[in-house]
Amino acid sequence: MNSQAISDLDASVRTVFAEVYSGQHFGAPAPDLADDTVLLDTGLDSLGFAILVTRLEEDLGYDPFSLATEAFYPRTFREFVDFYAAHAPA
Amino acid sequence: MTLHASVASVEGGRTALVSGGVRLDFGDLTAQAAQIAPKFAGRRVLLNLSDPVAALRALAAMDGQAAAVVLSSPALDAQTLLDFIVPGNIDTILTDRADLAAAGVTVVSDPAELHDAEGLPASTDWVMTTSGTTGAPKLVRHSLGSLTRSTRTDQTRGAGQVWGLLFDYTRFAGLQVVLQSLLSGATLVVPPANLPLEGKLADLADEGCTHLSATPTLWRKILMTAGHEALALRQITLGGEIADDAVIGMLTRRYQDARVTHIFASTEAGVGFSVTDRRAGFPASYLTDPPSGIGLRIADGHLHIRNTMVGDSYLGGGARLAQDGWVDTGDAVAMQDDRVMFKGRSSGVINVGGDKVHPEEVERACLSHPAVRLVRVYAKANPIMGALVAADIVAEDGAEAAAGGAGPLREAIKAHAAARLARHMVPAFIRFTAAFETNAAGKLVRDSGKDKT
Repeated sequence: MNSQAISDLDASVRTVFAEVYSGQHFGAPAPDLADDTVLLDTGLDSLGFAILVTRLEEDLGYDPFSLATEAFYPRTFREFVDFYAAHAPA
Repeated sequence: MTLHASVASVEGGRTALVSGGVRLDFGDLTAQAAQIAPKFAGRRVLLNLSDPVAALRALAAMDGQAAAVVLSSPALDAQTLLDFIVPGNIDTILTDRADLAAAGVTVVSDPAELHDAEGLPASTDWVMTTSGTTGAPKLVRHSLGSLTRSTRTDQTRGAGQVWGLLFDYTRFAGLQVVLQSLLSGATLVVPPANLPLEGKLADLADEGCTHLSATPTLWRKILMTAGHEALALRQITLGGEIADDAVIGMLTRRYQDARVTHIFASTEAGVGFSVTDRRAGFPASYLTDPPSGIGLRIADGHLHIRNTMVGDSYLGGGARLAQDGWVDTGDAVAMQDDRVMFKGRSSGVINVGGDKVHPEEVERACLSHPAVRLVRVYAKANPIMGALVAADIVAEDGAEAAAGGAGPLREAIKAHAAARLARHMVPAFIRFTAAFETNAAGKLVRDSGKDKT
């Protein structure tokens, strides 16, 4: 994935995250995401996280959580974006 | 053998239970249970304790004394609990909450407050509460024997085992962990319920937890939580939801020294079975050569399980459960090559991260919004929670325009549902459609067992 594609992906994740976060918090604005922000510490719980992943699957056309063969799940925002980048269909 | 006799047979110096700074060894547990045991003779007890130490002590005391113990979750509301009194024929409530009172029923927080019972020691019915298929919890009768049919009781092996409990001990999966730990003389660690997951994992790691059981959803969350690396696990168990290959594979890679097992269990059947080959579903060979003496068969696309020891009815006169010992688990299954794969609940009940959602209840909430003419609620497969709730909606004419578009109307319906339903029940996805397929009887077609994506 080239740097433009990664930056598009980064933007997509931020947008969908903000929508899902607001949807789960009665319209409250989502917190800013830094590279080392732990997603499950943002106030987005497992249910919100699950909705985020399905929304991204609808937007991006794939779900890396069903494809992954690594020994870890992403925790921080940067790991999350990298996880999607690593599993993007060729 | 009663639970008390089992506990008494373990070396007294072994630690039985660790919870929130309290440590109880098997000797103390045996002695404390013996002291209160006669209080329970012949009683029919509703047990509702949030303190796991008190609960374990009471269970060890009651088995073989009380006529019945109804295990109820501290998470249930008072009215739901009081509704168990009549069908359970309850005469005594043991609880550490203050909102349970009923005429003619003795309510105590400490068994020592009970008058000596007038009844005779009895063989105890262990009554589990199940959310059933219509929403209202039901009571299902078991015995210690039926609940521990597949429990290992090798106390030599149990000596080095430390079991972690992340489930509610009153639910089937949690009770299995409790009984397995006690009967094998292992140590049970129950992290305080009010700790965040990170704290619970730290607690389990500090106590040297070797055996841990959780739903696939909770396992995924554990793998995303700091500190999970510190767990030195030897046995990983997944239960309560369908386990997929992704989560099984992830756990296998992350905890290379651990055996990874997924279990299938139904409260109705009273037992389950485990699959240890690290693949989703179970081998088709189980249908002809089933594990540990149970029977498995597929009929009308449902998995049926045989357990001759289950009580054959719901307490309070519900439908009969067992026919010739076969129990319909209500799980839709399908053959896929050499595997039997779980496809969801035949009733259409959606399992969202281990919490059951009845589509009808969600549909009623959506229909109470004035812009909704028709609605169909279904499961949408999800790699984190197993499934999420989705809804197809036929809106009233002009409703979309009046709301300012499909987006605003979608959000308005979600907000409407959110005010009436628990969070996990609110449709996460709403799609507007022009019409629905109905069957000859004019009922909505609910393609149960098939996840829509």
